[in-house]
Amino acid sequence: MNLPLLSALFMLFALGIYVVLDGFDLGVGALLFAQRDQLTRDRMVDAIAPTWDGNETWLVMAGITLLAGFSIAYGILIPAFCIPVTAMVVALGMRGVSFEFRHNSTTLRRRWDAVFAAGSLVAALAQGVIIGGLIQGVDIDRNEFVGSPLDTFSLFTLLTGVTVVAGYATLGAGWLRLKGEDATRTFAKRHQRWLPLAFLGLTMITSLVAAAVQPRLVASWPAHRVALSWCFITFITCALGIAWLARRDDVDDRIGFGLALAMMLSGVVALGISFFPNVIPFRMSLWDAASDPETQEFVLIGALIATPVILGYTSFAYWVFHGRTPADGWY
Amino acid sequence: MHNLDPLILARIQFAFTVTFHIIFPTISIGLALFLAIVKGLFLKTRDPVYQQIYRFWLNIFAMSFAIGVVTGIVLSFQFGLTFSRFAQIAGPVIGPLIALEVLTSFFLEAGFLGIMLFGEGRVGQKLHFFATCMVALGTVLSSAWIMSANSWMQTPDGVAWENGRLVVTNWWKVVVNPSWPVRLPHMLLAAYITASFLVSGVSAWYLLKGRETVFARRTLSLAMAAACILIATQVMIGDRLGGVIVKYQPAKLQAAEGWWDKTTPSPTPYLWVIWPDQKAQFNRFEMGTPYFGSIWLTKSLTGSIGGLRNTPVAEQPRMVLVFYSFKLMLALGMTMFAVAVTSLWLRWHGRLYSTRWFLRILVVMTPSGVLATLGGWYTAEIGRQPWVINGILRTADAVSPVPATTLLSTLITFVCVYAVFFFAFLIFTLRLIRRGPGGLPAHALPSGSLKRGLRPEIAGVQPYLAGGK
Repeated sequence: MNLPLLSALFMLFALGIYVVLDGFDLGVGALLFAQRDQLTRDRMVDAIAPTWDGNETWLVMAGITLLAGFSIAYGILIPAFCIPVTAMVVALGMRGVSFEFRHNSTTLRRRWDAVFAAGSLVAALAQGVIIGGLIQGVDIDRNEFVGSPLDTFSLFTLLTGVTVVAGYATLGAGWLRLKGEDATRTFAKRHQRWLPLAFLGLTMITSLVAAAVQPRLVASWPAHRVALSWCFITFITCALGIAWLARRDDVDDRIGFGLALAMMLSGVVALGISFFPNVIPFRMSLWDAASDPETQEFVLIGALIATPVILGYTSFAYWVFHGRTPADGWY
Repeated sequence: MHNLDPLILARIQFAFTVTFHIIFPTISIGLALFLAIVKGLFLKTRDPVYQQIYRFWLNIFAMSFAIGVVTGIVLSFQFGLTFSRFAQIAGPVIGPLIALEVLTSFFLEAGFLGIMLFGEGRVGQKLHFFATCMVALGTVLSSAWIMSANSWMQTPDGVAWENGRLVVTNWWKVVVNPSWPVRLPHMLLAAYITASFLVSGVSAWYLLKGRETVFARRTLSLAMAAACILIATQVMIGDRLGGVIVKYQPAKLQAAEGWWDKTTPSPTPYLWVIWPDQKAQFNRFEMGTPYFGSIWLTKSLTGSIGGLRNTPVAEQPRMVLVFYSFKLMLALGMTMFAVAVTSLWLRWHGRLYSTRWFLRILVVMTPSGVLATLGGWYTAEIGRQPWVINGILRTADAVSPVPATTLLSTLITFVCVYAVFFFAFLIFTLRLIRRGPGGLPAHALPSGSLKRGLRPEIAGVQPYLAGGK
């Protein structure tokens, strides 16, 4: 059996879940910048408070699968992206503690909200910069990163960063419309009109620039043209669908959020397909970076048994807090 | 900035982020079990005081848990930020252990934490108790895996070298490596002791102030009773751990006890204060209790032990750091033991809640568990040097190819951000304590049951039924 491929699929699965789940709560965080009213802000944070911790755990899952299954690649990629990775974990940390601190703070709640929003924004930006850096390429010599930590910063990676922010904000608006009432829901609807279109436009520009920056990306496309076309069609349809639904009130709010999920996932899948079969794009393949079969087996068996259970109780946790967030919050 | 050494900076950065991190899991492992017990007692007795204790400590638990989670995410990337060669060589061995930690514990904790913090009014009391138990179970499983990974670095087993990388030959031997069965209970007990002294200290403060007496008495009684059992067990486990270290990491114990001579004098004193000279391999100054070293370490009146010169100079840890970290842990442990014994005496005479000098000591001892745990970890980690994986890989060969200037700037970032976390945690915790369990905004006020959540129209018609529970 092709163990490295299975490990890579599991990693992509974890990343995919991470992107859609933490994507919407990072998006909600970033949208706090656009909301001045304190009560609505409280409702926005309440909408994600019970589940954010589980969402973020998928990032750790993906990171540790990289460490275990592809140790060589982990040891190259983390030093290569040490600055955006540090920025990301610090930002995630700031926003993580802000959940608790803003709840306990009365006089400085606005400050903690600012920390929360900034943390969400920087984390999303940093993730986008990492994706951009992967497309640009990483300088390696055998099993070691030989470039500079500053290589990852360029106008192109700034563009990918902003694109990811737009994507997360689209998800966040979808979630808020689903969970919010009155002012929160109206706010979400207003932003749903333009965010998916901005995300779509930015993704188009990013793809064009990426093709210029990394010729090997374009070279990889023809081999997967069918799958990529499907992703592309899904992406555009969902973007237009969300923007159109934002003006209508007679449709279930879940549809808009579902479309945002599909939009994001098609992006993740398209990226995964473009990078395949490399774990460090265009430099090192899955099989070259893979740990030994004993390690892959151990992780995969654990994942095979645990993942259904995790999905089970995670769904239960979401179900407990289903429906719209109570007007007086969960507290 | 050419004189900056990436190795030193990487070590400081890892040490700083891991030191800061471990404080919070230690507190939340302990508080999670405490909360599960209190919730269980509430379900059994329906005494509202237990509910009050639960809600009060839940808030502090939530903050320390959140800091533990986010600083833990940092650590899962620190392996690459500071010691990427370690990640490349040992990733196939410890990576899976941490992956299993994520799969069996992080998700479990995260899944039920939301219900524990916000769900009391939505799921009913029994399910809420279940969620609390699952979070507590998650913290235990998490410790089991992470202690397995760390113990493997102390006493590696079940692997072989192949093309410059480690390959696992026997997973059972990796997971259940020689020191794990002793180090895991040692750490869990440390966390539980930490929580009991934290909880006792706060209750003692209320009793001294004459506030919240019912709440404080019940809490103090529970926590001190637990402390007595836990610390007595810890003394036995600690002794067993000493045996394991002598066998597998003699240099660590040699440094921790402060002796250089190949064979110590007979009878051996127990050293408390030393001024070691690592270069000349002797103590410029030493002070100890006569006979005590022989009695404690060899269980005889005149026995001798081996000093650090038995270990080649290139494989010695820095004695001064290991010695004082260990003595810090030991001294605090002995003090906590003495406090526990005193509490039994006072309880026997019915003066546990009214003896003011004892309550004052408890207030001072509030952070003692945290400090002792840090002392223990410093002994374990510095005592393993110069190895990152004992006998297999040197720390100096494990460092990331990240420039010193980058490491310095990320270190400064972590220090600043963690300082904010720490002071905010401290300020909010102290404020919650000052406000007391009476006037707290509870994390989850009971607002009905899941049935009500499901059928709002019924609850709307009969609000008094749901509210009257």
